[in-house]
Amino acid sequence: MDDQKNAQLSGFIVERLELGVFAVDSSFNIVLWNHFMHTHSGKSWESLKGKNLFASFPELPEPWLKRKIDHVFALGNYAFTSWEQRAYLFRFKHNRPITGGVDAMLQNCTFLPLRDAKGKVELVVITLQDCTDNALIQQRLAEAITVSDEERRKQQELIVKLEDAKNQLFQSEKLASIGQLAAGVAHEINNPIGFVNSNLGTLERNVTDLMKLMAVFESKETELPEEAQSQLKKIKKEIDYEYLKEDLAALISESKEGLGHVRRIVSDLKDFSRVDQSGWQIADLEKCIDTTLNVVSNEIRYKASVVKEYGHPPLVECVPGQINQVLMNLVVNASQAFPERGQITLRTGEEGMYVWIEVEDDGIGIPPENLQRIFEPFFTTKPVGTGTGLGLSVCYNIIRKHEGELIVRSEVGKGTCFRILLPIFHGKMGESEGSEAANSVPL
Amino acid sequence: MNKGLSEDQTDALQELANIGMGQAGDSLARIWKEFVHLSIPKIAIVDASRLPALIHGFVGDTAVSASRQAFHGGFRGEVLVVVSAKDRNGLANLMGYEGQLDSVEREEVLLDIVNILGGACVGGIAQQVHAEIGFSAPSLIGEDIDPLDVIHPDQLAIDKALSLEVCFKVENRSLTAHLVILLPNNEVGALAQLLDQFLCTL
Repeated sequence: MDDQKNAQLSGFIVERLELGVFAVDSSFNIVLWNHFMHTHSGKSWESLKGKNLFASFPELPEPWLKRKIDHVFALGNYAFTSWEQRAYLFRFKHNRPITGGVDAMLQNCTFLPLRDAKGKVELVVITLQDCTDNALIQQRLAEAITVSDEERRKQQELIVKLEDAKNQLFQSEKLASIGQLAAGVAHEINNPIGFVNSNLGTLERNVTDLMKLMAVFESKETELPEEAQSQLKKIKKEIDYEYLKEDLAALISESKEGLGHVRRIVSDLKDFSRVDQSGWQIADLEKCIDTTLNVVSNEIRYKASVVKEYGHPPLVECVPGQINQVLMNLVVNASQAFPERGQITLRTGEEGMYVWIEVEDDGIGIPPENLQRIFEPFFTTKPVGTGTGLGLSVCYNIIRKHEGELIVRSEVGKGTCFRILLPIFHGKMGESEGSEAANSVPL
Repeated sequence: MNKGLSEDQTDALQELANIGMGQAGDSLARIWKEFVHLSIPKIAIVDASRLPALIHGFVGDTAVSASRQAFHGGFRGEVLVVVSAKDRNGLANLMGYEGQLDSVEREEVLLDIVNILGGACVGGIAQQVHAEIGFSAPSLIGEDIDPLDVIHPDQLAIDKALSLEVCFKVENRSLTAHLVILLPNNEVGALAQLLDQFLCTL
């Protein structure tokens, strides 16, 4: 191929290539403008020949582009622009009139120095490549990556939640087995208590009978010979007969009282755990509070006095075993809020379709930064090994399962109040409660 | 091939870089109407594992922005430019930007600066040793990153490199940019040959 043909071919390529090619001299006058530039700008080489680039295209970012071209003239460097930072140099229509998706043709530009025989940069040739299709694919890819990253993040969150739930379940199960154990023990105690109670009844009757007999004997005592009388007197004195007579009755009645107490505790324990009747029931929340207080009375007796302000709300459809568990947690927590001794107030009431219970203490209160975290699983301020940090989180979940609300307000130095709101009606009656937490009795 | 450069070659390279950069600095100073200071180029053969420490050594404990550009032809390699993050605005002004920059404009400035400084230095050397050098489009390494994160040696394709480091300052702009030209060890031979040819013509 001779040089002339070669030049012809080069000219043809520059002219017809699907690439914008134009050139400017150091005064920014246009000295080359190919077919691509013509068709996309709508301005022909003939109309632009020798004209100033910025006068012909006032929309171009002049200070920046001038400086860019100046650098190429001065340094003889290549220079580039990329659609990622600068969408386009010339605002051309894109190649997707039907399918759309972009605002204008996205362009990658290259600035090339063209040197004269002495090596001085004479012209700057600028090529302009349509990147719209690639850019769109890349943008979609980036979007897809963002979406998949977001999904992965959500999955991570779920995994953490799952872990929490697992731990909570584990804790519930532990509580449940302790509860069942306690209920079983209660059941076992019931039998011996039954016969002790019945024996005690018989004993009482027998003692009364014996006393009746003794009374008759005593009334006949003066009729006995002198010697026998003095012998009896001696023995009576020895055994302190007068006291014994009184004490016997007192002993029996005190034993009966004590036994009654044991029976009540056992029955409360069974009540509280509901081993025999888990699931949704219509329950009296005030009774729930009372049984709970009986179960934990030992725990709180030396730390707090309990004040009840009952508003006698209607019965509520709930899983009583779970509500007991919540109440117990709140009451025991409250009892731990006092530096020395304090007061726990339990209130009930009705509000629209809800019944509420408040457990309020006048203890040390919870600082605001902890207040928003207390329902988080494993959040605890107790020394390591003392609290699991699960109590309130379990409470929260139980109340949420009841479609209710557990609200806390607290002021440091004044005390804390937990308010449980429970909907009166659920329509879940008769459904058994699957979770083991239903019959758990943490003791 | 792996011996690096002889003392003569190193001296020549340093001198050529100095002249090349000096000319470029002159040209830039004329466009920018600001005085441009250039340090004497430092040349060393560096283990890849030492590159993060090298870059940290330029700037110290400050967040940096960095960009890179590849060159090819008579010899191949990459240019890195590391700018302390707070210097970006001064830079933008010199590049013809006006007003506050948004994040993509900031990226573009970083790409421009590696293009200009890299082109000036590598282009300057290439011109004097009569080598044809082409440049690929520059790309961004990162903005506001730890200087130790500019290069991760475990991601590099090489275990040794020839580094040519120039510090570039613009008076009145409190602007300092560090330019590092990295040549893979197996390209050093090609450069050495070009330097030898150049030395013969002296």
